[in-house]
Formats: sequence, structure tokens, C-alpha cells
Amino acid sequence: MLRKDINEFLTQTGPGTPMGELFRQYWMPALLAEELPENDSPPVRVKLLSERLLAFRDSEGRYGLVDEFCAHRGASLWFGRNEGSGLRCPYHGWKYDVTGQCVEVPSEADNSSFCQNVTLTSYPLVKIGDVLWTHMGDPATRPGLPEFEFAQVPAEQTYTSKRWQQCNWMQAFEGGIDSSHVTFLHSGGLKTDPLFKGAKGNEYNMKDTKPFFEVADSDGGLFVGARRNAEEGSYYWRITPWVMPNFTMVPPRGDHPVHGHFWVPIDDENCWTYSFDYHPVRALTETERQAMIDGHGVHSKNIPGTYRPAANMDNDYLMDREAQKRGDTYSGVAGIAMQDASLQESMGPIVDRTKERLVPADSGIIKARQKLRKAALALRDEGVTPPGVNPAHHRVRSAAVVLPQAESFLDSCRDAVTATPGVPQSSV
Amino acid sequence: MQLSECARATSASESRFRITVPIAPARAARVIALDPVAAAVTRRVAAGLWASARFYTCQDGPVDGPEALPLRGLDGSRAMLGEVLTGSDVVVVVATEDSGRACAAAIGRACSARAVTTAGVVLGDGFEADDAVAALRPHARVLLLSADESDVSELLTALRV
Repeated sequence: MLRKDINEFLTQTGPGTPMGELFRQYWMPALLAEELPENDSPPVRVKLLSERLLAFRDSEGRYGLVDEFCAHRGASLWFGRNEGSGLRCPYHGWKYDVTGQCVEVPSEADNSSFCQNVTLTSYPLVKIGDVLWTHMGDPATRPGLPEFEFAQVPAEQTYTSKRWQQCNWMQAFEGGIDSSHVTFLHSGGLKTDPLFKGAKGNEYNMKDTKPFFEVADSDGGLFVGARRNAEEGSYYWRITPWVMPNFTMVPPRGDHPVHGHFWVPIDDENCWTYSFDYHPVRALTETERQAMIDGHGVHSKNIPGTYRPAANMDNDYLMDREAQKRGDTYSGVAGIAMQDASLQESMGPIVDRTKERLVPADSGIIKARQKLRKAALALRDEGVTPPGVNPAHHRVRSAAVVLPQAESFLDSCRDAVTATPGVPQSSV
Repeated sequence: MQLSECARATSASESRFRITVPIAPARAARVIALDPVAAAVTRRVAAGLWASARFYTCQDGPVDGPEALPLRGLDGSRAMLGEVLTGSDVVVVVATEDSGRACAAAIGRACSARAVTTAGVVLGDGFEADDAVAALRPHARVLLLSADESDVSELLTALRV
């Protein structure tokens, strides 16, 4: 459980809040590259960390992320005309470039310098992999660009989707380091999901429903090891890395692609879940990529033209009680992603953590909350750069391995949990 | 259009109608330090306000079965592990190095036999307490390897002890 003030501390990420300032130290996914597919394509509304922004790609292919509203009268620039290397407000014709600099105020004299003094707040927007990343903090302390492996491998080896989740980011994120729910909530998926099924590791998962956990600090956050019995004298370990503040990976299964998530606050009651799959050493097959597009694995089937899942709270997540009875799904909700989201959203927009009854198996969550709070306080009070900012901290992987019982997963898996180009994932 | 059950039930306004009753401490916790440094940590943690947690240190000496493992309360009183575990449903073991290996194994075995959930907090860089980790691993539902002694308090607070 958390005290009310600590729950608020961790869940509020708007400007000026301690956690908001923490988030602003990092490069964050702002939108998918597919949302700005070509030069002069329509601008896209983006709300991040409770700031309303607008993303656009100008005539030269430069990306911009600027205040959504025109400096003149506050009209939304979403209605703007993206043309001639800038975004023009359709109300009175004020025009801005990708840095937010006003470059034209038609009502002023031709040689007026007025517009030089008009600038919208703007943030950098950089394409790495399938994602457009932004850094909303102080440019003076801007870290190196992100080096997460899913965004570094060649395009044919990776796929990223996103979905709107209607709850605070912490509820979603905490699911990403909570390995103990998999045996229950996702048990159907281990047998049927095309991106999960068939792995030897699934057998260990299903035979041993009471995993043991080890939680250890890493340079960028934590490693959470979940241990199950394997053959005599050995354990099956599933190792989940968390890179602060909001990046988690799911341990792999067989030769299936490796997957994971970014949990990005939209505001305090909504977040974007970015879900990726990649293979470190081979292209995704057509079948795999199609399965991802169809919403299997960690992905969701979204309403066409949107990033809202087709199964959502407005249709009770297409609850299927018969499928639940048959055992096709454990909760009656189809798909790994929406099984998680349905329960996390059911807690309400911001769950009241003063009422929790945590158990030792929740130690990963307990530790993560503490690390976030301490990092936010150290940043606020002493200016300490938090873990996970350094791009070197991004070079982690999840792993699934069988080890002799006496071996420490930390000692035995140092290579396995390090992202090394050209080296396949450690998986069972 | 009428809202679905989920959309209505998950709104912030509906959250106000969740039943609110005081939550009693749910666990009878025993916190056992395995070595002198861990004992010092445990003393500092014990100075906090705890509803039902009790704190002990392991004592050296021959052990005649796990239940007879000698412990000492922070007030100096002596007790055997079997007595201490009576009525408990969670044991948190604290270690900083490997001298408590035998104690860790005994506690682990006794807790397993009594169906008491065991959690271990190993403080340090993990290396000094490797043996303690190895001894606890078969029995502790959770092992937290940490450089931060406040993890002990955080764990106990989260468990409402």
C-alpha cells in the first residue's frame, strides 16, 4: 500500500510536478512514425505529460512538436495548413516552423520583425525505428538519443504498435513488472496465441503456477527474475528488465520475437501503451508481422483509423463468458493486451493505493515505486540525473533460461540480459 | 447512447462509491536478522511504528533442528524459532553477508513446513551475501537484492505489518 500523498506523487506527471520533471529527463515515444507518413501530411494532436501539443512534418521532412495552440488567439493549429515548410493557422494566417518559431504574421508590415519575437513552446522530434521520440526537458541536459534494441534493429526485424489506455500510467506500467499474473490471466494465450505458443518454456509456466521471485537493481532500473521448477535440479527463469521510468520487456518464448512496452503518460488519467516485437538476428516472418497487425501477442486490434482498441470499456471489452467457461480465455476477454488493459482500467482512472493489500510476490512493484520516488526526489532536491537517462542503460534484454538450482540468475545471465547486436536472444 | 457497465463503473465519479472501511493489519510478520550488520538494520527498522511485526536476530550455536534455532528479541529475550513462528504468516529475513547461511536454511525449512511465506532482503551488492541468497533461494517466495536498507521498511509498510 501507499500513503495518499505518495500515490499522488507517483501518478501526477504534469509540468512542475516531481514525477513530471523526472519524465522530462528522458526521451519518450511521442507518436508512431506512421502517423506522419510523408512531408506535409496532416498534423497530429499529441498530448504528453499533460501538455497539449501538435506534431507535424514539414515540406523538407523535418519533424516538429509544438504547442497545439496559435500564439495569436489560441486557436488549435490542428486545423492548420501544413505547407511551404511550416504550419499556418487558418484563422489569421500566422505561420510557424518545426521549432515553433513564428515565420509569418500576414497582418504585419512585410519587413516587420514582430514575428521573430513570437515562438511556440516546442520539443525535438526524432525518428528512431518506428517511433518518433521527444525530449520535453531542459535542452541543456538533453541526453543522447535512445538506444533501445527494438528501435535499433533493421526495419524488417521490428514492429511497434500503440493503444490508448484509459488509466494512469502507473497502473499500466505495474502490470509490466508483475510476472505472477501471467499464469492466470494469460494462461489461454500460452496455448493459442501465435506469437507465444509452442515454446518449451510455456510448459514450465503452466506446470508451476507458484513462481518465486528475485528482484535486483540494475544500472537503469531493475531486473525481476521469476523462477519456476524445470527438470530435476534446475529452475526455469524468466527475467524482466525495467528501465526507468517506463520501459519494460517481456521474457521471450522459444524463437518467437522478443516483446515489451513503453507506458507513456498522456495525462494523469490516460496513457499510451507502445508495444513492440523484434527479433535480434532475423527478419520477422510475414506470418509473425500479420499476427502483430491482427492484434495478437502484446498488440491490440484497434478501431480502424484510431489507436483505440476495438475491445474497450465502452463495449465491456467484448466480454465472452462462454469462452471463459470453456477455458479459451481465463477472464473472458480476448488478447493478452486487452486482458491486461481491461483489469487495469477497471481499477478506475487512478487507483487508490491506500487500500491495497500487497504480498511479498509484489516486491518488484514495491521496489519500483520506491526507486521512482527516490529518483524524483533526488532530481528535485539535488539535481541528480536519474537511472535510465544514460543511453547505455537502454541496452538490455529480457531472457528466459534454464539454470542449475544453485546458480544466481544475475551472475549467469549477464550476457543474456545485455543487448548485443547480432547475438540472438536467450530463450526457452 | 447508454454507457456500458465498464465505462460507467470505471469513471472517477463512480470510484467515489467504493466501500471504504479501515484495513486492519493483515499479517503477523516476523523479521529476522541473520548477521550483525543486518541486526543493526533491523533495530533501526524496528524503531518505526509497526502494528504486528516482531523483530529478532539469529544467534550462533548448535542447532538441533530448524524449530530449535535460537533467536533473540531486540529486548534481549531468548526464543526458539518454533515459538516465534507460531501465529505468524510471513517471515522477512534480512542478511548482509554469508555468515547466516545455516540460519537461513533453517528458517527456510521451518517456514516451508508451516506454510509461512518467506521473503528475504539481502543488503549490499549481492556478492557478500551470495551464500545467504543461495540458502534462502529454495524457500523464500521473494528475494530482494538491494543496496538500500530502506527496502526493509518499504516492504513491511507495503505488507501492512
